[in-house]
Amino acid sequence: MANISDSMNTINSLEEMAEGKTIIHQLHPMVKLVITLLYIVLVVSFDPYNITGLVVLAFYPVILMALAEIPYKPLLTRMLVALPFSFFAGISNIIFNQNLALMIGGIPITYGVISFFSITIKTVFTVMAVLILIATTSLPQISYQLLSIKVPKLIVEQIMLTYRYISVLLEQVSNMYTAYMLRSPGGKGIKMKDMGIFVGQLLLKSFDRAENIYYAMKCRGYDGHYLYAKPDPIKSADWIFLLGTAFLLIMMRFFDLSQIIGSFL
Amino acid sequence: MHMADALVSPAVGGIMLAASAGAIAYSAYKCKDDLDEKKIPLMGVMGAVIFAGQMINFTIPGTGSSGHIGGGILLAALLGPFPAFLTITAVLLIQALFFADGGLLALGCNLWNMGFYSCLVIYPLIFRPIVKKGLTPTRITTASIISVVIALSLGAFSVVVETLSSGITELPFVTFLGLMIPIHLAIGLVEGIVTGGILVFVYKMRPELLETSVANKKLAKTVSIKKVVGILLVFAVVIGGGVSVFASTNPDGLEWAMKNVTGTTELAADGSVYETAADIQKATAFLPGYSFKSTSEKSSAAGTSLSGIIGGGITLLLAGGTGLLIYAIKNKKKNQPDA
Repeated sequence: MANISDSMNTINSLEEMAEGKTIIHQLHPMVKLVITLLYIVLVVSFDPYNITGLVVLAFYPVILMALAEIPYKPLLTRMLVALPFSFFAGISNIIFNQNLALMIGGIPITYGVISFFSITIKTVFTVMAVLILIATTSLPQISYQLLSIKVPKLIVEQIMLTYRYISVLLEQVSNMYTAYMLRSPGGKGIKMKDMGIFVGQLLLKSFDRAENIYYAMKCRGYDGHYLYAKPDPIKSADWIFLLGTAFLLIMMRFFDLSQIIGSFL
Repeated sequence: MHMADALVSPAVGGIMLAASAGAIAYSAYKCKDDLDEKKIPLMGVMGAVIFAGQMINFTIPGTGSSGHIGGGILLAALLGPFPAFLTITAVLLIQALFFADGGLLALGCNLWNMGFYSCLVIYPLIFRPIVKKGLTPTRITTASIISVVIALSLGAFSVVVETLSSGITELPFVTFLGLMIPIHLAIGLVEGIVTGGILVFVYKMRPELLETSVANKKLAKTVSIKKVVGILLVFAVVIGGGVSVFASTNPDGLEWAMKNVTGTTELAADGSVYETAADIQKATAFLPGYSFKSTSEKSSAAGTSLSGIIGGGITLLLAGGTGLLIYAIKNKKKNQPDA
């Protein structure tokens, strides 16, 4: 059950964040989508042994989170979800690549260790980029952009509907779970013998609600096609952000600034 | 089994995105002709059902491992292959965006591994032929188990190929495969039995839904989708709620495979490794200009990290300045009266 309330909290907190009014929130969704994809591609394109170049790209999530006023804690929590597999993929490199790369104060650092850190850093960066996107841009906004890049309407409708039904289902489960726990002091969870009634109730309520949503859609002219509010056109500030950020990111990728500055020292 | 962005290279991610985009486009094209309005909300609810099901990890007895359902075969059997693939696409995109489960660049890989094989390959080639002679609980169960096992194995095989061709992990191909396949065969067996159970129940309650799907016919307008959706919601909740009692904190199959390697092998730096490393370093130009190459000089390594920190600090100032500049420009624009 922890999973369900966790998921609901995640969706709710990200939705709340996406309602902000900072300059990042006000950017055109397409600009954010393009920059996010560019950033991810640039991050994963780094050689597995080039950490110093890679860390330069840390400034993108740091600056964007500051500008968008996104709190760190919930995003860092979500990031932990993505880390375990990358962690084990990285660990295997430590074992299979024991070629010595450098010594730091008598401690040998192998290429495997370097690539382990590289994978971990890449995971953190890519996950942060996606979370920044969704924390500053609502799913309907992103969906509309998918339409404009010729993603079939049917698939966009599915994204919207699935997303909406998830919220409905999860909210109901959470309310019922709370009600159940309040009536079973000392209980650690739902008892198996109660599951039938619990699930039956949930079914009836969720289905009623989903059906009501469907009827509400019909009343508002739903004929098998989702209606969207057209977003604003791309403004000049959006272009400045897009070109400026893309330029900076590409510069960071291909010129190891730390190395260049370091060579003057 | 969701692959993260950090585990694919741009080339592999791009190729798989293109391949999956092609499959999406083809599915949408196929759906255009024979999809009635009623099926669109049903697909949405089914997406939520699969979403709820995939959140739950259940333990596989005797392995210390746990897995979650993929749902591809289940969806294909209920909705038909093409709507099922579109539904899975929506679920995977939402998981990638909101839950850091998978990633945007890896979305193509994940769609291919978890949606393409089950919906568009295994279902038409294995599931449908088995049940074509006539739907019976035995046939449905058999078809489900075989289909899910093969679909999951194909998916696991693809994870290995995609990760290795991205050059991310240095696990040898055979070792990686040897760890992934047996685990996913076991997961497939469990998931196949669960899928079979759900489909047999649906068949007993609302046989027309499976029959029309298997025969690839349109749903008759008189069929009440309400009841079917209701039954599916019960299953979503049973899976989501009931199984969570047994849900374990064990890592899932993929992670277990990795852990197993690391557990049995020790990280040891032999003298011979150091000797060969010196030769390799001469041959490999690793970060030219950096003092990584001269490992004997400790001071140079420290110097590198110091200049790196200073360089990084200046980069931070530059990037921060750019951010402030954009902020200033936007502010100025806001304060200006409309022309």
